[in-house]
Amino acid sequence: MGIRTPNGFNLDTSGQRVVVDPVTRIEGHMRCEVNIDENNIIRNAVSTGTMWRGLEVILKGRDPRDAWAFTQRICGVCTGTHALTSVRAVEDALGIIIPENANSIRNIMQLSLQVHDHLVHFYHLHALDWVNPVHALRADPKATSELQQAVSPSHPMSSPGYFRDIQNRLKKFVESGQLGPFKNGYWTNPAYLLPPEADLMAVTHYLEALDFQKEIMTTRTIFGGKDIHPNWLVGGVPCAINIDGEMAAGAPINMERLNYVRSVIERTIAFVDNVYIPDIIAIGNLYKAWLYGGGLSGKSVLAYGDIPDKANDYSAANLMMPQGAIINGNLKEVLPVDVRDPEQIQEFVPHSWYKYPDEAKGLHPWDGITEPHYELGPNAKGTRTNIIELDESAKYSWIKAPRWRGHAMEVGPLARYVVGYAQGHEEIKEQVDSTLRVLGAPLNALFSTLGRTAARALEAQWAARKQAYFLDKLIANIKAGDSSTANTEKWDPKTWPAEIKGVGFTEAPRGALGHWIRIKNGRIENYQCVVPTTWNGSPRDNAGNIGAFEASLMDTKVERAEEPVEILRTIHSFDPCLACSTH
Amino acid sequence: MNHTSHSEEAVYVYEAPLRLWHWVNAVAIVALAGTGYLIGSPPPSVGGEASASFVFGWIRYLHFAAGYVLIAGFAFRIYWAFAGNEHARQIFLPPVWRGRFWREVWHEVLWYALLVREPIKYSGHNPLATIAMHILFVWFTIFMIVTGLALYGEGTGMGSWQHTLFSSRVIPLFGQSQDVHTWHHLGMWVIICFVIIHIYVAVREDIMSRQTIISSMFSGWRTFRGNGTPRDSD
Amino acid sequence: MPPPVEEVLTPETFYEVMRRQGITRRSFLKFCSLTAASLGLGPTFAPKIAYAMESKPRIPVLWLHGLECTCCSESFIRSAHPLAKDVVLSMLSLDYDDTLMAAAGHQAEAIVDEVVEQYKGNYILAVEGNPPLNEDGMFCIIGGKPFVEQLKHAASNAKAIISWGSCASWGCVQAARPNPTRATPVHKVPGLPDKPIIKVPGCPPIAEVMTAVITYILTFEKLPELDRQGRPKMFYSQRIHDKCYRRPHFDAGQFVESFDDEGARKGYCLYKVGCKGPTTYNACSTVGWNGGLSFPIQAGHPCIGCSEDGFWDKGDFYSRLTRVHGFGIEADADRIGTTAATVVGAAAAAHAAASVVKRMRGKGGNN
Ligand code: HEM
Ligand code: HEM
Ligand code: NFV
Ligand code: SF4
Ligand code: SF4
Ligand code: F3S
Ligand SMILES: [Mg+2]
Repeated sequence: MGIRTPNGFNLDTSGQRVVVDPVTRIEGHMRCEVNIDENNIIRNAVSTGTMWRGLEVILKGRDPRDAWAFTQRICGVCTGTHALTSVRAVEDALGIIIPENANSIRNIMQLSLQVHDHLVHFYHLHALDWVNPVHALRADPKATSELQQAVSPSHPMSSPGYFRDIQNRLKKFVESGQLGPFKNGYWTNPAYLLPPEADLMAVTHYLEALDFQKEIMTTRTIFGGKDIHPNWLVGGVPCAINIDGEMAAGAPINMERLNYVRSVIERTIAFVDNVYIPDIIAIGNLYKAWLYGGGLSGKSVLAYGDIPDKANDYSAANLMMPQGAIINGNLKEVLPVDVRDPEQIQEFVPHSWYKYPDEAKGLHPWDGITEPHYELGPNAKGTRTNIIELDESAKYSWIKAPRWRGHAMEVGPLARYVVGYAQGHEEIKEQVDSTLRVLGAPLNALFSTLGRTAARALEAQWAARKQAYFLDKLIANIKAGDSSTANTEKWDPKTWPAEIKGVGFTEAPRGALGHWIRIKNGRIENYQCVVPTTWNGSPRDNAGNIGAFEASLMDTKVERAEEPVEILRTIHSFDPCLACSTH
Repeated sequence: MNHTSHSEEAVYVYEAPLRLWHWVNAVAIVALAGTGYLIGSPPPSVGGEASASFVFGWIRYLHFAAGYVLIAGFAFRIYWAFAGNEHARQIFLPPVWRGRFWREVWHEVLWYALLVREPIKYSGHNPLATIAMHILFVWFTIFMIVTGLALYGEGTGMGSWQHTLFSSRVIPLFGQSQDVHTWHHLGMWVIICFVIIHIYVAVREDIMSRQTIISSMFSGWRTFRGNGTPRDSD
Repeated sequence: MPPPVEEVLTPETFYEVMRRQGITRRSFLKFCSLTAASLGLGPTFAPKIAYAMESKPRIPVLWLHGLECTCCSESFIRSAHPLAKDVVLSMLSLDYDDTLMAAAGHQAEAIVDEVVEQYKGNYILAVEGNPPLNEDGMFCIIGGKPFVEQLKHAASNAKAIISWGSCASWGCVQAARPNPTRATPVHKVPGLPDKPIIKVPGCPPIAEVMTAVITYILTFEKLPELDRQGRPKMFYSQRIHDKCYRRPHFDAGQFVESFDDEGARKGYCLYKVGCKGPTTYNACSTVGWNGGLSFPIQAGHPCIGCSEDGFWDKGDFYSRLTRVHGFGIEADADRIGTTAATVVGAAAAAHAAASVVKRMRGKGGNN
């Protein structure tokens, strides 16, 4: 029995139902169910967010100036991005103009998050879908060294002895019989295609990246005091600048601190160039045939844009990350996006565990409602507290279903790169074209699981460099005599109008993120977040459109139903964050 | 004691140590409330090198010094409840188990509500005053001392007696340190309210009732005008 | 109740455990070759695995995630000394951690069962986040069931429980008023098997504090000494304020009055913009963050008290005084106090006036 969804997918629930719960190596808790036909091809996909904390409920009645700290705790992986979105929403509501320096510092922090999050995602959450650490034991360290030098001549750690040491360590680890995080992986599955040398190189980089990632975010430690969960401020940034005045040594930002940031940025650029990008190319080359998983990426993508060059200007022209929407696969036309327009962004809940007064309608987030309501559909198998199979014709997820003008959209690095490419964004075009050239792949190879993974790496490379741009800009501005970091004119709630509303948006590592706030008598009256993984992990809507995760799984062949590594690959390529998605 | 009605009778109520304590205690509490308020809401910043001033340090130091005066005084006051005369025990042991006591509390309430004409005479505190002092003064002073020492022990640290006896027990009881601050701070306002009522009533009684009130806390002697026996001296 | 602090950790070898459960040496060796085969490794690996299993094993750790934001894991991987890599590869055996583990679905769930059975009393349960109890626990679902079930099951044979972060220790953000899911910190979970619990609060905790707690246990083979609230004394016995480098400005009375003012640029004390350093027990001002590089106050923001119980509900972050809830009031202690004192004062004045009127009337009547 096939159903055709309005967004063009043929769903058939007749085959074998395969359940993956928990989906691991993601942030938070997620369940995935698919139906596979007799040829092991996925014909129906169901993605479920399996956690909810109620941040939108908790925020009601609080001080809007505190909201960044609450929303930051929506996620410790994309830490900071919600905080930034939140302070922007409050500043928008109050009409606060932030200093240029605050803009540069915020951009450096947000960009360092992009690099960190992308890198950790690739090596520590995604790599084991492509790389088999057990195979690495069979590698010849000398050949690995040659491979390393071939793919990345400037990476210093490439001697045969180095790889032998790593291999010995790995061997000892495996021989202990205690496989730790590698336990019960699908290591005999034929879906792993890398030669042992590439496996050893990648496992080595898994460890190198684990060591290095902790450096990337130290820029946030300098500006925000700690990482994870650095500090932010409505009106600017909390770190005052004192370059050479009295007591500069005790000031948050002085010459020594700026030098530290510079050194981190330089090392970050080198690591991405020498390790991350070559690995992506190497893996892309070897899995070139694996072009499943495009889902919505070639049809409907959305980006809000981010990284304002000049402070306080959030128009597309001033944003260094692209803004726009593409629907129906029409790459020739990038549509303008307005997060304030009640017709554009709406959230639906007929398949989500929430209640609306009228569930046939979607709500723009300024008027959004978050009222939990857990119930399983009549065709679900199992019980209320022991779900065997979900019933996707009813409510089945803690994620709401956001839609852009009624369309389910994919967001994230790939969406940004598709929009940017379609708009002719120079830096993006150059990166994409040269990568496709190296791989000898056509443009539509982008619309795939691997395309998503590659776009993320390219974006990390772009973001690492842009940090240096904003550090230069910060220093030039200080040199010109402006060292202000915060505007506190509207700090006191007594200066606020009785009823106001605002919206803030960013491009979080996983995609377009928006916070909508209503403030009444100085306190939060309503606060709604629509988050990247809310878009991507969205369940069906009232019209039956499936979300981006679900769409991406369609028509994929699963080699072994009991070891569905293909499902993990594609779901992981989105870098799902479930704590974010449901908040 | 002579019980026959007499127009100018005098009773020695407050012995000298108690009077001394009363005024030392009053000064300590005023100092504690003043510095305590400033600890919660500090005065405007001073400039210069940090090592050159100690403004907030002094405010806190004064608070702690006054705190210890209050504690020492209170300890003495407890001792005096045993050593002193019968009036010295009054605020610690209101006879709440006696029906008569409550009837007289009620009578005092009516008196303050301006509903009865004649107050009953007491040489010590009247029952309403006794119960008010017992709760609002005795218990709240204990509360302030316990929470104050718990906060103090946070500074002296693990191993200090304040920390061992107070901080390590009191803080978990309230939840966390910030809660102890809040309750200690609220306690101040209870005591301030007590002091306002106390001073108002002392002045009022001095004028309205036919017995000396304020001067008793200076001289120790309570003198009565008009007829009747103090109810609490039988 | 503080857990016994002298608990000695001396795990049996895996082989001993198997023998104790009546498994023969023959089936033990078979188990080893099956393990090798399941990894796609040749038969030469089987004896090596057998040898390892006869030696003292790395202590298995089950790292569960409930309602949380994963910042504790993210913090953990930022440890500079020891490196997270070395902890995971050489110190312990991180058998279950849904953010890092290769296995998924029922293969992942099987690991919990296996460790609970095979390492009875010899594994550590680390918990990040907490279970919600409302909606039958279905605000956090793992394997189709409430997380709280997985938690209780995993705790059943644990040697000790580590409550990572403020979520597991106190409840944290999801437990902030009105706590819609009834998120409950680990030690308050009804029916949780009685095990020593080490709380390592912080939102998140400092990476080096996390790894130090683990390495302490492994190195000294006992649990760290805990305070009355169950936190390791070595890192939680002092307040941020006690070792804050801005403390001289606090004593001097030099405060940041508003952000980016003169005082902010000179590094004055952040007390008046709401610093909770004086009420927060954590190692930020001593150990520092990210290899000791900085901490919130050093970067100009007041401490928000992120390692303290219920810090989300202690008033607005930028005011020194707590907002007090209840009785329909929501105001700080001074507002409540001045209101009360004003009411009392006004009542006294009114009473005085009434007394005067009454007296004058009384006199008139008498005459
Ligand atoms: C912080 C300020 C004060 C505090 C905490 C305080 C506290 C007390 C206490 C606890 C007693 C009961 C003594 C006992 O029976 O042991 C008392 C009695 C008394 N106080 Fe105060 N006092 C304060 C200020 C004053 C002032 C300013 C006056 C004068 C106007 C005053 C006048 C009296 C009098 C007259 C009595 C005796 C009352 C009676 O016999 O009913 N007090 N005070
Ligand atoms: C009537 C008696 C007292 C009053 C009215 C009083 C009042 C206050 C107030 C309003 C605060 C500020 C609380 C805040 O918002 O953080 C405070 C703090 C404090 N009080 Fe008291 N207090 C009293 C007795 C004591 C005693 C007996 C001690 C013991 C030594 C004490 C020790 C402290 C300490 C250690 C602090 C915290 C200082 C700091 O955080 O820097 N107090 N007090
Ligand atoms: N989805 C999501 Fe986030 C991101 N990136 C937030 O906005 O991950 Ni934790
Ligand atoms: S304690 Fe804080 S940092 Fe850790 S998981 Fe909870 S919210 Fe995140
Ligand atoms: S900044 Fe905070 S912790 Fe530091 S001295 Fe001031 S109040 Fe204390
Ligand atoms: S906010 Fe948290 S990180 Fe440290 S300085 Fe305060 S405890
Ligand atoms: Mg939302």
